[in-house]
Amino acid sequence: MKGDKRLAILIRTIDTTASGREIVREREVPAASVTVGRASENDIHLADLAVEQRHIRISQEGDGQVQVEALGTLGFALDGRSVTSGTIDAQTGGEIELGSSRLTIASEPSGTLSITIKQGAEKGAKVDTVAGFALASALPSKRAMAWAMSLAILILLLSVPIFTHMTRDTSVEGDGPDAVRINQVSFDSTWSSGELSLAHHDLKDNCEACHAEPFVSVQDETCLTCHEELGEHAAQPRLMKGMAPIPAGEAWQWAVAETLGKEGPGSCTSCHLEHEGKVRQQAATQQFCADCHDALDSRLTDVAFGNADNFGNKHPQFRPTFYSAYGQDEPVRVSLDETIVEKSGLVFPHNVHMAQNGGVARMAISLSDYDGPLDCADCHTLTEDEVGFEPVEMEPACEACHSLVAGRDGAGGFVSLRHGDVDDLMEDLATMGTGPKRAVVSGRSRPGRFAQGGTYAINFGRPAASLIAINRALLPGGTCGDCHIPTRTNGRPDLIPVNLPDRYLQHGFFSHKAHEEEDCTDCHAADTSKVATDLLLPDLESCQDCHIGEVLQEAGMKTLVKDDEVPSTCAMCHGYHTPTAPWPGDHPILQSTPESERGPMQDSIASISAMLKPAD
Amino acid sequence: MATRASRSGSAAGSDAVFRQREKARDADHVGFLKHKTYRYLWLALILAGLCTVGYLTIEQEPRPNGGSWYGYTLGTIGLGLIVWLSLLGIRKRRPSPGYWSLKGWTSAHVYLGLSLIVIGTLHTGFQFGWNVHTLAYALMILVIVSGLYGIWAYAHFPAKLSSNRGEMTRTQMVEALEAIDRQLDSAAQPLDRTQSDAVIAALRQDIFFGGAWGRLTGTYPGCATKAAIAAIDRANGDEATQKVHKLLLRRADQLGQIRRYLRIRALIEIWLFIHIPATIALLAALLAHVVSVFYYW
Repeated sequence: MKGDKRLAILIRTIDTTASGREIVREREVPAASVTVGRASENDIHLADLAVEQRHIRISQEGDGQVQVEALGTLGFALDGRSVTSGTIDAQTGGEIELGSSRLTIASEPSGTLSITIKQGAEKGAKVDTVAGFALASALPSKRAMAWAMSLAILILLLSVPIFTHMTRDTSVEGDGPDAVRINQVSFDSTWSSGELSLAHHDLKDNCEACHAEPFVSVQDETCLTCHEELGEHAAQPRLMKGMAPIPAGEAWQWAVAETLGKEGPGSCTSCHLEHEGKVRQQAATQQFCADCHDALDSRLTDVAFGNADNFGNKHPQFRPTFYSAYGQDEPVRVSLDETIVEKSGLVFPHNVHMAQNGGVARMAISLSDYDGPLDCADCHTLTEDEVGFEPVEMEPACEACHSLVAGRDGAGGFVSLRHGDVDDLMEDLATMGTGPKRAVVSGRSRPGRFAQGGTYAINFGRPAASLIAINRALLPGGTCGDCHIPTRTNGRPDLIPVNLPDRYLQHGFFSHKAHEEEDCTDCHAADTSKVATDLLLPDLESCQDCHIGEVLQEAGMKTLVKDDEVPSTCAMCHGYHTPTAPWPGDHPILQSTPESERGPMQDSIASISAMLKPAD
Repeated sequence: MATRASRSGSAAGSDAVFRQREKARDADHVGFLKHKTYRYLWLALILAGLCTVGYLTIEQEPRPNGGSWYGYTLGTIGLGLIVWLSLLGIRKRRPSPGYWSLKGWTSAHVYLGLSLIVIGTLHTGFQFGWNVHTLAYALMILVIVSGLYGIWAYAHFPAKLSSNRGEMTRTQMVEALEAIDRQLDSAAQPLDRTQSDAVIAALRQDIFFGGAWGRLTGTYPGCATKAAIAAIDRANGDEATQKVHKLLLRRADQLGQIRRYLRIRALIEIWLFIHIPATIALLAALLAHVVSVFYYW
């Protein structure tokens, strides 16, 4: 009986109804082993496609052990582990998982082995099928996406720049553009509204160099840390007084802007807009200047110069700076409309030197230094940047003809008087008498140390004949008087000092290079000038022969400019800040300057003005 | 209509009452696009037109810019519009807070939103870059374009949706599939391992498998039913295999109907998944845009 019981297996099937109630069915198989599989001939038939046709055999062993083995290659899960065969102690029991079914092996109280089959929960059960039709079931929620995007923007593009800006180290070492540090503030390049101009382009990763204080517009003070050398166009408040009245609308705008911290119409940023693209700063238009200068005298009654609004028809006469009296300390500035007498202290008839015939021309032809009669370039040398001229120096320019040779030296060469200082000259004249003399030729030589070249040799010869009238050099008609005006100082013969300004037109820029097509005498009446007191500057009218005012031209319109006319804005000759002064030596090289043009040329406002001019 | 007329009585005033009610009923049928004879369309056109005329006539040196006074003006108008338009999301959640009907609000939302294309673009001065300012602009355009698409989708797709359903509800479509699945499950019992696995894969795959991209494009490269059809060799198979193959084809058909429904539904709904998050992101970008401009003032 006991043996019979051992050889039977109780199979208990538990099904769950839709309402959750369990239906239990039991049957007993009178065998020592059962097979489990999908095929219907199995003892335990599981209609589950995940189960093999004949999947496992469960057999009772003699000692209360239950042997489970796979009948095919596919294994099964025994107590959670995947195996192909295994043993279960019937007393402790075990669980076999096949597909979605769980087979629990246990020993009944009666001692019979039981296999309880329970269908597992359907995998991938449709929980809420209708909701699945909405797109929302396949996408992250709108709220989550909105949060994610907003937070990313607010953190990366707002909080990080503000935080790094507020916590940055503001102490600056050094001076000028080299002192700024790169990239102290993170992600603030995403705030840039446009590329910086060429001049400031190196600062593109260094927003805080200009935007120093939060919610404070760029201040003049900040600009001037680098541009400290820039002069004011006019001192405040005079500048503001000279400005044309601001229209009501614009005044209201400024009122708003100033409320928000802008510095007002005189500030750097009111003219110099930035972030307008990687371009050169544009030169001011004629109108920009004319706004104030067309009726400046009505607002500033004490101005020395006249109104201007267009070079072609409303511009004051040029007022060169020069010395109007001998020995004057400061030069005077007089309009070319006045009678001009320049007292440079020199005697120089240009017409004599430039004549194609006559003594000077013949002399020049006879000298190998010149290839014909003199021309301007024989004395006047262009500066390196070809804008102006080097000062004329006596030795290279004049001395080929106006020799200062005073005698011969012992070696057969010439001795010249020194030029430039009357004291030097006097010294040279005084030593002239003790200079080398021709040796006495008697046919006999003195012996020993008394011989020529010996310690005690004495030359008893006559002094060499002077080539210039030494005693009369400084007197009227003397050598010096060829070019200089003799005078007496403290009873002693002297010369009027030469007084020439470095520049005649100090408030405008003029490039000789730009006029190289012209002959010098087209503008400078040197060929007819008989005396050095002529100031050979062309007047306004002669410039106006070619230069007319700015011509505003719409693209595509027929040109209004004649061939011999040159439209000229104020900026062609004038700078706003420091009229025509050179830049300081340590000024950084402009990004806008082509490599080939870098050098002395780029160091002046003149060259900047030239660069700013629109390309033809 | 007859019912209404009789319900309102046979008194002398009944005609007037009828007409009044009819008018009210007609008003109900005027869509938000034609609301008040295009009142907000005209308002938007006038606003955009004025801004354009201002842009063309007001001289801005050296070039048009969001930072000129006119730029600030356009920016302020644009910002105000965007904030107000985005309040529709709050307005529609509150039943009747005042004069403004939800329809009127929606009409204004659509037309004034479209006018932002003009106002926003003029505010940029046609300067774009990789910065927070252009990000805000791009988000604004994304919001407007998605909204435009939404209007079109709402007019275009619902008819298709009902014709595809063929009188079936969503639940019925799923139940039809489940019925096929049950038949498949029993028909597949005699199949061998590999074929069974193919059928299991098909049965177990979520009917909504494929993600948003699959829904929008109607492409399901990982479809297990399709794979099972390919895996089960009908030509050389026995009767059971033939049956399973046939059932799989039916399953694919039913799945196809569900997926067409899903596609149309997704095409209707997708705009909101762009419009709403992009609007909130736009508000964040606008905050960053405005603060950054005045922080680096």
